[in-house]
Amino acid sequence: MTPSRHGSAVIEFPNELEVLITRRFDAPIALVFEVLTKPEHVRRWGATHPDRMLECSIDLRVGGGYHSSFVTEDGTVCSFSGTYLEVEPPIRTMATWRFEGTPPVEAVETMELHEIDAVTTLSWRLAFRDRTGRARMTSFDGQQDSLDEMGEILRSLLDRQETASE
Amino acid sequence: MSISEYLWVMARAATTSDVFNAVADVHRREILDVLIEGEKAVGAIVGDLSMSQPQVSKHLRVLSEVGLVRCRAEGRLRLYRLTPEHLRPLHDWVAKHERAMNDRLDRMDDYLQELQRQGDRNDT
Repeated sequence: MTPSRHGSAVIEFPNELEVLITRRFDAPIALVFEVLTKPEHVRRWGATHPDRMLECSIDLRVGGGYHSSFVTEDGTVCSFSGTYLEVEPPIRTMATWRFEGTPPVEAVETMELHEIDAVTTLSWRLAFRDRTGRARMTSFDGQQDSLDEMGEILRSLLDRQETASE
Repeated sequence: MSISEYLWVMARAATTSDVFNAVADVHRREILDVLIEGEKAVGAIVGDLSMSQPQVSKHLRVLSEVGLVRCRAEGRLRLYRLTPEHLRPLHDWVAKHERAMNDRLDRMDDYLQELQRQGDRNDT
């Protein structure tokens, strides 16, 4: 059994418009691609408890659309949709991405897979149309901010505090 | 794509706590950074950063109000030091962010492993 990769995703904010998430999987690239792009698979892992996935449709071809929606315990529904701009199985898809809110948030989503020695790396990049969009989806109080930078400061401060209290 | 849902989870977990607002400003984060080295007088903080003394004092006041720094007088000097325990809510928020994303990808990972185990069984 290979060691668990749970909790190993890396989240980065490379610039003020993008979010980049990287995660490795012990699985061949073709299978990872399928699990990411076929609705029957996505339905199996898509929603975080107690949220439920309501819809999931994926028309995987250039110009084809996808749509997924989720509902929370209190009944709030959120919906994502978009159109494929590039489809290159099993290594890459690029699509428009739209979060249906008021106002909606728009981005371009790029998913890239890369396999070395039976380990597949997923790079998932969202490039938001504007800074407000990214702020709304990732930040607090509408502030534009770098979580990376904040994360580092926090870690150094808390580490210090723990060392001091020993 | 359903990885996206994590962003929604976080958008719902947005907060407006005072500590968050205090560190949302890049200059105030720079001051916190400088104070990691230890207790410092206002003049020393000014010397370390490209900010004017009134600016630094203004930011220190905000940081004091939310309890992130504490001030004591030594003669004519006012010395500031970090009281990082008040950063805990912020740290927890960042951790929640990481967890929301990891939950989804961990679930996808478990599902991939399950599919592969099934595949192996079907082969034998």
